[in-house]
Amino acid sequence: MTVDELWSELVTTSLLGTDRRDPPALDGLIGELVADSVRPNPSARMLTAVGACVAVRRAGVQPAAPADPLSPPAADERPECVPAASDRWRHLTSSWPVLEDEWMITLISRGWRLAPELVPAALRRHRRDRVRRARVFVAAGPLAAWLVDHVPELAANASGGSLTPTAREQLGELPELPIPPELTVLLDRSGAEIGGFIAVGVEDGSLAHAHRGVLVNVIARCAPDGLADIADVLGAVDSRSSGHALASVLADLATTRRRMLDELGRPDAAHAASASVTGR
Amino acid sequence: MAWSAEQIESVASSAAAVTAAHPVATPSRWRDLGADERVLWGSFHGSGTEPYDTAVDHIGVGFRCTCPSRRVPCKHALALLIMWSREQVPPGVPVGETDRWAQRRAERASHHGDDEHDGHEPDATPATTDVDDDPPGRDDPPPVPDRDAARNERVEKMMEGLTELDRWLDDRIRTGLADPALARYSTWDDLAARLVDAQAGSLANRIRRLAGLVGATPTWHDDVLAELGLLHLLSQAGRRLGTLPAPLADAVATTVGWHVRRADVLAGVPDTDRWVVAGRSDHREDRIEVRRHWLRGERSGRWALVLSFAAYQQSLDDSLVVGTAIHADLHRYPGPALRALVGTRHAEPAATIFREEADAGLPIGQPPGQTIEDASAEVGRMLVAEPWLDRVPTSVTAAVVHRRDHRTAGDTWSIGDHTGSLPILDRRGPTEAAPRGASSDVDPVTMLLALSGGRPVDLTIEWTPHGIVPLAVHLDGRTIDIGPRADSSFVGAA
Repeated sequence: MTVDELWSELVTTSLLGTDRRDPPALDGLIGELVADSVRPNPSARMLTAVGACVAVRRAGVQPAAPADPLSPPAADERPECVPAASDRWRHLTSSWPVLEDEWMITLISRGWRLAPELVPAALRRHRRDRVRRARVFVAAGPLAAWLVDHVPELAANASGGSLTPTAREQLGELPELPIPPELTVLLDRSGAEIGGFIAVGVEDGSLAHAHRGVLVNVIARCAPDGLADIADVLGAVDSRSSGHALASVLADLATTRRRMLDELGRPDAAHAASASVTGR
Repeated sequence: MAWSAEQIESVASSAAAVTAAHPVATPSRWRDLGADERVLWGSFHGSGTEPYDTAVDHIGVGFRCTCPSRRVPCKHALALLIMWSREQVPPGVPVGETDRWAQRRAERASHHGDDEHDGHEPDATPATTDVDDDPPGRDDPPPVPDRDAARNERVEKMMEGLTELDRWLDDRIRTGLADPALARYSTWDDLAARLVDAQAGSLANRIRRLAGLVGATPTWHDDVLAELGLLHLLSQAGRRLGTLPAPLADAVATTVGWHVRRADVLAGVPDTDRWVVAGRSDHREDRIEVRRHWLRGERSGRWALVLSFAAYQQSLDDSLVVGTAIHADLHRYPGPALRALVGTRHAEPAATIFREEADAGLPIGQPPGQTIEDASAEVGRMLVAEPWLDRVPTSVTAAVVHRRDHRTAGDTWSIGDHTGSLPILDRRGPTEAAPRGASSDVDPVTMLLALSGGRPVDLTIEWTPHGIVPLAVHLDGRTIDIGPRADSSFVGAA
């Protein structure tokens, strides 16, 4: 009797219990081991046999037969985005989701590939939104469709299915954010001017927490080359001012966006030559 | 002077307890009965194979009994008092453990006077505990002789717990796994509570985990029987520690729950190496979150386990980062233990050496890739030393594969290569909590698929009897930690 056959017998006996069924007859090494011990009753002999059998089976852990490997997805020659960019995406999605669209569009347009560890989370995050989901498919390349094939839980729900022509046009465009006309003019100004306007406003109380949403939108859509100045000016707001907390939050947004764009700078020339995302 | 019936009732936890004690108060069922001016004692022979040794301090009012009851005083102690009140207990001289117990109580009474009564409200302490077994830190450390006595008593309690465990295991095997009692929480909880009382907390945890297996899968009988067998091995080995080779005895003692002081471990010979932090996994055990960091010595090739624990809103150890390596002294627990403490760190964590550097001849900074067959052999070698281990680390170069599970007639994911395949533990199954926390809310199979694209990758995995748990994927130049992560709402930030 093999160890596996013995184990099967022991399991069968254990279901009924030794009060109703005798333990299986033992032979081989396990039989010798149990016979060598002083076992006054069937249950004690059975327990000893079970213990010995488990120890032998564990020590001789055997893998199952080989299985056919999966067909991998087609190769994607684009370079994978740097780890700092991956970390930034995690940070954005938890703290500054207003920047996520720009992050993904920039990644695609500059020829990067979405890091594979982000693909499941990005697919799951955008199961309902056709445009954003399509961006993930472009950013992740063939891996995204391959992954959805193997993990049905990542498939789109009803509203996140195929792209309409209109939605396709929106793939590379940043969605418009609500900004009132009196603040829209800021978008054409320099970073120092935007920062100064906001700093004065939060210090004199004309801009308060109620304006946070629109100020966030201004910083999320202003010209990137002014972000460092915005962060500097807002970071210098007097810590005793009632607007200091709001200024700090907005400075963090400006810094985060600047770093995000830096991390997604164009890959080196060798990578850039093979990076062509828009046609995929 | 013997107590009156009213005095006996006054120390009983309820009138029902006195009622239950009367059938036991039959001298023919007792052996070695005796009484002196302070203590009553005797051995009660019930249905179990081992008698219950009972003693009562009728001066200081204290009780001691080896029965599994958590009620203080238990029915055996009350029965002793009842027989004494009927003048059925002959005078005598206590011997052995009863004598030592009585002397300790007498000494403590002389030191503390009436304070002794304050700590012994009925139901305030487990049955076999007395003032010597207060948790550490409640009072000043006892003098050395008392510490030895306390240690002896702890050993004795542990042995009693193991005896009780084996009795319980025997009942399970006699009545069978189809016995409806297995579906009742009390069947497991009562034993777990008794093992905690017996200072065998590790076994109590195993019992609680075992309870969760019952009925959880179509093959649960298989899993439960295997664990019963291992518990039997441990209880038998634990009761024969003195006859075992020293390393095995150490391993058994710590597995059963014998506490080894941190200072004693750190005083041991260090195992100095460049340790790669190969993987991490978090698991909730009862109300404690347990973090396992698996380290592998680059020079020795030996694995080590560094544990950290967090109760609600406490922090887990974040000082070891998967994919980094530390040059440090590790101090191992007694026996062939994987478990170790990190001692002196000789250098700060260094980035894992990239593959390009490995190609240049520098030592690699990740566990070596190996075939599934070789990884299984490595697991087997660790299980030969300690078959009761329920998690063992190894590393492998393998791809995710899909295969039919003939046991469950369902499809399962495995990792595999040309030498074989190992099933991935279904984390929706009974023995693994679902992944918790924001950073690990994608299941490991999906992460493995995404990171590998179905191609072979270097992995650190944790073997369990129910399947492997992928902990880390080692890519070119970086490592992705995909091990199960603690619920961020349970543990606090570090």
